[in-house]
Amino acid sequence: MAAVAAGGRPRHGAGRLTLITVAAERWQAFRRAWRVALRISGLNFQARLQYRLDFVSSIFLGIVWQSSVLVFVGIVLTRFPGIGGWGAGGVLLIAAIRLLSHGISTVTFSPLWWIGDQVGEGLIDIYLVRPLPVYRQVLLSRFPINAIGDFAAGLLLFGLALARLQLDWTPARIGYLIAAVIGGVGVEAALATLLASASLLVMIGRAPFQWLDSLLGSFGNYPLRILPVPARDVLTFVIPIAFVGYLPAAVLTSRADTTGVAQWLAYGAPVVGVTLYIGSRLAWYVALRRYGSVGG
Amino acid sequence: MTLITDFGQPATIVTPLLMVATQLMLTYWLWRALYAHVHSSAGLTAGQATSYALLGVLYLRFRAQNRWPNGDAMQQLMLDGTIAYWFVRPVSPRRYYLIRSAGDLAYGGMWGALGYGICLAAGAVQPPASAQGALATLVTLAIGLVVLYYVQLCVDLSCFWSAVNDQTVIAVQFVVNLLAGAFAPVWYFPGWFQRADEFLPFQASLNVPLSLYVGRLPAGTVYREAALQLAWAIGLGLVTWRLWRRAAARVTVLGG
Repeated sequence: MAAVAAGGRPRHGAGRLTLITVAAERWQAFRRAWRVALRISGLNFQARLQYRLDFVSSIFLGIVWQSSVLVFVGIVLTRFPGIGGWGAGGVLLIAAIRLLSHGISTVTFSPLWWIGDQVGEGLIDIYLVRPLPVYRQVLLSRFPINAIGDFAAGLLLFGLALARLQLDWTPARIGYLIAAVIGGVGVEAALATLLASASLLVMIGRAPFQWLDSLLGSFGNYPLRILPVPARDVLTFVIPIAFVGYLPAAVLTSRADTTGVAQWLAYGAPVVGVTLYIGSRLAWYVALRRYGSVGG
Repeated sequence: MTLITDFGQPATIVTPLLMVATQLMLTYWLWRALYAHVHSSAGLTAGQATSYALLGVLYLRFRAQNRWPNGDAMQQLMLDGTIAYWFVRPVSPRRYYLIRSAGDLAYGGMWGALGYGICLAAGAVQPPASAQGALATLVTLAIGLVVLYYVQLCVDLSCFWSAVNDQTVIAVQFVVNLLAGAFAPVWYFPGWFQRADEFLPFQASLNVPLSLYVGRLPAGTVYREAALQLAWAIGLGLVTWRLWRRAAARVTVLGG
């Protein structure tokens, strides 16, 4: 309930509201939005659960899809002294952080891949008239079960990395690891959101999303030192894949000075991810304001 | 027809080609980095392992076409009932499937050959270990593709008896690719894995031809390997012939 501040002459309008009340209202609205989002996600999840075999095979597919990484890193790499100056444990850590981020990002942001279809079918026009942000409706349009498999593969790789690395997991390291995963989610979400923003203006289909996913899967699991410098720079400053797994793993294994980027940038990888995501959301709003329905 | 369609819609070929190009580049850099301080591992030198891995990437990308986006996969035809048309055409469904697969292979083979030529010219892939090795590779590759054709056919025919979805098909393809040595040469796997894999038909499709190409297997072993491949091809051919007959007797389409 709004409260009118005591004292003062009557003014035009409803009167001054206290800051605490505004904050309380915003908090209530935030909680309501989360309740709606979780309820819709729960319904999507239950809908997928109706087909048990499909549900299980989707999770299995998520694990299988990432298993080429497991095979290469877990089997091949162990036969060699290392790659790019990184031992098997370090490479496993890069892949683990990347997959953990990827799993969370896929659950939340992979529905953006289908925005081209939604634009073509005119669904965005329907989303625009509903009392829920368009971006949120796109994200809630489906629940990708295979992401659970991606996350499970990430946990498996993380376990393998822990077994091989001799790291002292202090609270600071654990905190940075969590922040790094969140930052990695931010990077993947930012890239997907930028592509989705472009989809609102031009029909680009799903191919660019697949291309992006392929890039992340191909280059995101290994130390970028193995690449030529131009390629390394592109994957750091143009398509910021380095900030997903490589730079955070370098920080955790105390080799941030060997990455080829400024140490403060390596340490700030989680912040970079979140900042990129915020920037991509601004791009989304700009694109949505310029959106023109396919029906004219 | 596929080629004409794809060139009319460049986006349908540009993205896959870009994905293949980046995959090839990463594979090359990965294997070179692995062998930076190692001369030989699992009986393979840096050049052999890199060539094997690059050819494996080309094989994976181009040996089959993905029909799911077009709604033309066997499982999808079963779901919407149009599989029934296969059995009323003047061409038998078995022959139609063969012609379609041959077309897919020819199309993919064209791109694969182009990729091979580019990699060879760039020095990323070594030439065959010997002329005999090259001939042995072609022979075993041809028979290996026949084996793989029958394996894929078994998976597709299974949809006549169970509701096989796309995820199951992809999972099966992954296992086939793993056992064929597409993700990493079989030579790097533990001994028990290699011995178990010898009893399966999958490594005949890729590991054997590529091992002959890079010289990991001497060209003289082609007779034994080809005989094994032929045995698998004949066995699987008989199984699929039987399955086609039973499938024709029972065309159960979801929805009645």
